[in-house]
Amino acid sequence: MTVRLATGEQLERFACFGSRCSVLVSGDHGSRTARAAIAEAKRSLLQWHDRFSRFQPDSELSLLNEDARSELPASTLLVRLAVAVRTAGELSGGLVDATLAEEIEIAGYAEDLGKPLSPGLALALAPPRNPARPARASGQRERWREVEVDVETGMIRRPVGVRIDGGGIAKGMFADVLAERLAGHAAYAVDCAGDLAIGGAAGLAREVHVECPFSGRVLHSFVLIDGCVATSGITRRSWLDGEGRPAHHLLDPATGTPAFTGIVQVTALAPSALEAEVRAKAALLAGPRAASVHLPHGGVVVFDDGSHSVLAPPAAVTVERLAAFLAPHPARKRAASSEPPVASPSL
Amino acid sequence: MSPREARALAADRRAELRRRARRIRRSIAAISAALFVALFLVVYVQLASGHDPALSASAKASSTAAQRKSSSETSTSATSAAPTTQATEGTNEGGEASTESDAGETSRSESTGSEAAEASGGEASGEESTRSSESSTPMTTSQS
Repeated sequence: MTVRLATGEQLERFACFGSRCSVLVSGDHGSRTARAAIAEAKRSLLQWHDRFSRFQPDSELSLLNEDARSELPASTLLVRLAVAVRTAGELSGGLVDATLAEEIEIAGYAEDLGKPLSPGLALALAPPRNPARPARASGQRERWREVEVDVETGMIRRPVGVRIDGGGIAKGMFADVLAERLAGHAAYAVDCAGDLAIGGAAGLAREVHVECPFSGRVLHSFVLIDGCVATSGITRRSWLDGEGRPAHHLLDPATGTPAFTGIVQVTALAPSALEAEVRAKAALLAGPRAASVHLPHGGVVVFDDGSHSVLAPPAAVTVERLAAFLAPHPARKRAASSEPPVASPSL
Repeated sequence: MSPREARALAADRRAELRRRARRIRRSIAAISAALFVALFLVVYVQLASGHDPALSASAKASSTAAQRKSSSETSTSATSAAPTTQATEGTNEGGEASTESDAGETSRSESTGSEAAEASGGEASGEESTRSSESSTPMTTSQS
């Protein structure tokens, strides 16, 4: 049910993607009221959950994964997801591989999970910490490179047997799609199970709290006007595998097994939710020494021992940023609006 | 005027010209350095206060104004989108553990809204800043 908050904004929270989603909107856009926009966004998210679930055999994603053809037509959104698979691999140097569907099932994540392990127990039982590596580091082929997309014709090509696991990447992409739809409203905030897109025509500042994976308290708060945040971690979706070893859903592409790198959670800021999601996962998989490399827009890293670091961009004043800063406002706006939704800097 | 006096006068004029050229060169160098430092500081403060144009897909001209926080607001950790702060306070299952981290800057992440406002260097009136901070609902990001 949509509730009107003291701030005048309208908010609805609901279960989706095996987690919680929320959509917040204020102000009408044309003939569309905030309430109608929220209802539409909720409807879309629930539909997308059904269409892109790995656990439903008749979902669009499952049908793609099981299709015996190496090239097949796909819907616009599925094409966009396939593009996102490539983008994730390229952006993370192969650390974020969304084609590890088989490995995640072997690890024990073949259906909706129950209650997660206690973080303390999981970390105590976990193997020695090592950074994850791309598949090529162990001499294996990088399957995400084999996913090819023809956006013009809406065709996806991949070797038969290469399966896509949307996971967090799909959630980030959905947040971006909704952000594009809601941009005309005075303010909006979309939370796709931890992947946030924030913005709106009024340019309101909004606090975003980062939750501690151990205690649930607020570790840090950012103030965003227009941007995205994603959090990825190993404590919420965790379980014991058949041999009693702790497991989670973030896999080391080189080994195909859950990665224990010394980091339990990363929150990343980025211009798009998809990029934020990829950055967060890549930073976690890279381990404490290299995490900051994957967080060029900043973020929060939480380590095994419960300590955390708030990261500033490593090179705050870059030529690109200086140019963007010096550009007159209309030019910046033109530049932003000229970016195609799929081929944005993050995609 | 004797030839000697004429030579002396010419030498004086040459020296004066050299002094003038030196003065102009120094002035230009000083003004350039001052302009560079001023520009650098403006950009640095802009980025440090969270108004990173590269982060925003559609930067607003009023973003600096909108991001100013009411000085009466005392929310903790009200840092910015492009954080310059680093937290070293750790927690472990509710406990506290201090850990020095190897990345980021050096200040603590806990700051008041008014500190954020000072850092932003915004031009907004108090009325505008109060509106922008009070009329938005905070969001929380956590693992999905």
